[in-house]
Amino acid sequence: MSTTKVTIHRLATGVPGLDEVLGGGLPEFSFNLIAGQPGCGKTTLAHQIMFALASVERPALYFTVLGEPPLKMLRYQQQFHFFDNEALNHRVRFINLSEEAMAGNLDRVLHRIVDEVATHAPALVFVDSFRSVVLASEGGGNGHNQLQQFVQQLGMLMTTWQATTFLIGEYFTETDANPVFTVADGLIWLRQSVHRNSMVRKMEVLKMRGQPTLAGLHTYRISDAGIQVFAPAGLGGPASASASAGASVKASPVRVSLGVPELDQMLGGGLPRGYSVLVAGPSGSGKSILAAAFLAEGARCGETGVMAAFEQRPNQERNRLLAGLIDSGSVCLLENRPLDLSIDEIVFQLLGEIHRLKASRVVIDSLSGFELALAPTFSDDFRGSLLHLVTALSNAGVTVLMTSELEDRYTDLRFSPYGSAFLTDAIVVQRYVEVESRLRRVMAVVKVRASAHSDELREYTIDAGGLQIGSQLPDQEGLLGGRPTRKRPPKPPAVAGDA
Amino acid sequence: MPLEGTSGPALTAPLSERAPQGASALQIAAALGSMALELDAALAPIIGPRGVMALWQRSLHLTSAAHPWLSAGQPGGLSPLDTALLATAVAQRDDHDATVAVNALLQAFHELLASLIGLSLTERLLRTVWAPSLALPSSGLPAQDPTP
Repeated sequence: MSTTKVTIHRLATGVPGLDEVLGGGLPEFSFNLIAGQPGCGKTTLAHQIMFALASVERPALYFTVLGEPPLKMLRYQQQFHFFDNEALNHRVRFINLSEEAMAGNLDRVLHRIVDEVATHAPALVFVDSFRSVVLASEGGGNGHNQLQQFVQQLGMLMTTWQATTFLIGEYFTETDANPVFTVADGLIWLRQSVHRNSMVRKMEVLKMRGQPTLAGLHTYRISDAGIQVFAPAGLGGPASASASAGASVKASPVRVSLGVPELDQMLGGGLPRGYSVLVAGPSGSGKSILAAAFLAEGARCGETGVMAAFEQRPNQERNRLLAGLIDSGSVCLLENRPLDLSIDEIVFQLLGEIHRLKASRVVIDSLSGFELALAPTFSDDFRGSLLHLVTALSNAGVTVLMTSELEDRYTDLRFSPYGSAFLTDAIVVQRYVEVESRLRRVMAVVKVRASAHSDELREYTIDAGGLQIGSQLPDQEGLLGGRPTRKRPPKPPAVAGDA
Repeated sequence: MPLEGTSGPALTAPLSERAPQGASALQIAAALGSMALELDAALAPIIGPRGVMALWQRSLHLTSAAHPWLSAGQPGGLSPLDTALLATAVAQRDDHDATVAVNALLQAFHELLASLIGLSLTERLLRTVWAPSLALPSSGLPAQDPTP
């Protein structure tokens, strides 16, 4: 016996990133709650969805109850790009229920809603704010029962009228035995996390009947364009294992040049395409110069690049090579606001530019700045954020060069900060050493995953042409201790000693 | 007091489609009465009857500086505006005074709303009240009293 199961259509909300978090859009005829503290963007989210979905054939009714006065709502919401004045009284209708709500009789509120729904046959219904409905019901003495009946009837009626419905509510706590939680098909919770001077907005879909949502908290930002949700991107793909610790990685047979031929030799013939390399060194050691050379070499080969700059410095101080690459369009520069970024937002920006430019090379300059740019609420799990970033970029198939400030220490031997060495496929370390009362620079390749590489410690200099890698310093020993000593002549040449 | 946010001139003669030039004070009062009802019908569903009343009270307050007789006898405070009393006050003035004051009152209402929600949204919401001919382009008929 064959049965024909109902097909639940999913509506595209028009809110970037939200459909992914919802698990593929909003189920048609669902009964949803948008909850959160004041100021977290509930009304903005509702309006954005409404203006995106409402059409003349499928109009929207937006019931305002007692919360924000409608005049103010119209005044502020029209500042958003999605707000379409011409839609009013056409495909979008605002209806004020304050008189009914102030009477404290939920039956009157419900009757009015049903009357308006019968008159206008909307496909979308919004009740803003539901909190005021709750408060109105409390005046009646038997508030809880009244509210439960109201919610159940509203949910039932709206579904049978084939309307996708949203209740916008304030101050709800998740532990409340609120009847609306049971009746609702979807619960979208908006939160704000304040840490020192930074505020991060996060969204959680606690429930969405009939479809798998993306669990957890997802950051979002409100701008003139409305709400943008940063759904986790670039994770879970087939290549995701390549960046995870201990994973076996096959080195790509294709190698890319970093733009410094001697360094390519040290890497074993360039960096395997799709690898991430960490360039760690103290201030002034030439990390950014190497990064620019890496991008310039890409441009020379007809590749485009993306540079995410987290360092705070004015444009004119950037090196000339990089400025030229940016001017020519070979490299897109992403400069980031500090303090309030989430990792998902950074990954979203990067992947957006990578896809737009079909970029194959990415520079993160630097991880130290990246850590500062993250909102403090994410700083506690910086390694987790870094893993997320590297994995997403790895899945995008780009070759990544990251720079990292390495504190000069000669008492211990460190090749990367944050214990992040396991995250990257290759590591290049730069150090200062004192030789004959001069500060000289040396460089070594510490690691290239699944590939042979040089173990030489090579001196290098920086001039107008960039990094110039010279020879080893075979007559010195103890280089990594910072104060090498000249070897005694009788001894045969040996590999540079340890510190 | 000038109102900010009106990015263009409000309709300068709100009564132009309601009362012919040289209309009597009685005609002006009737036109005001019908417009008040239509404004309420256009706005109250969206901003609530109390929202509309608040706009009237503010508009009357602004206009009364130049035409103090408009607010004579009005209850003030939180009490609703008495539109019947307002119409009676208008009907008792001479024709010129009545025209100038009612135009000023309606214009203040329009400007006030535009300062709050912008000119384009205001004109979208009030289009049929301010210029019924735009809503009924082919009628060419004189303004009708709204049905209750």
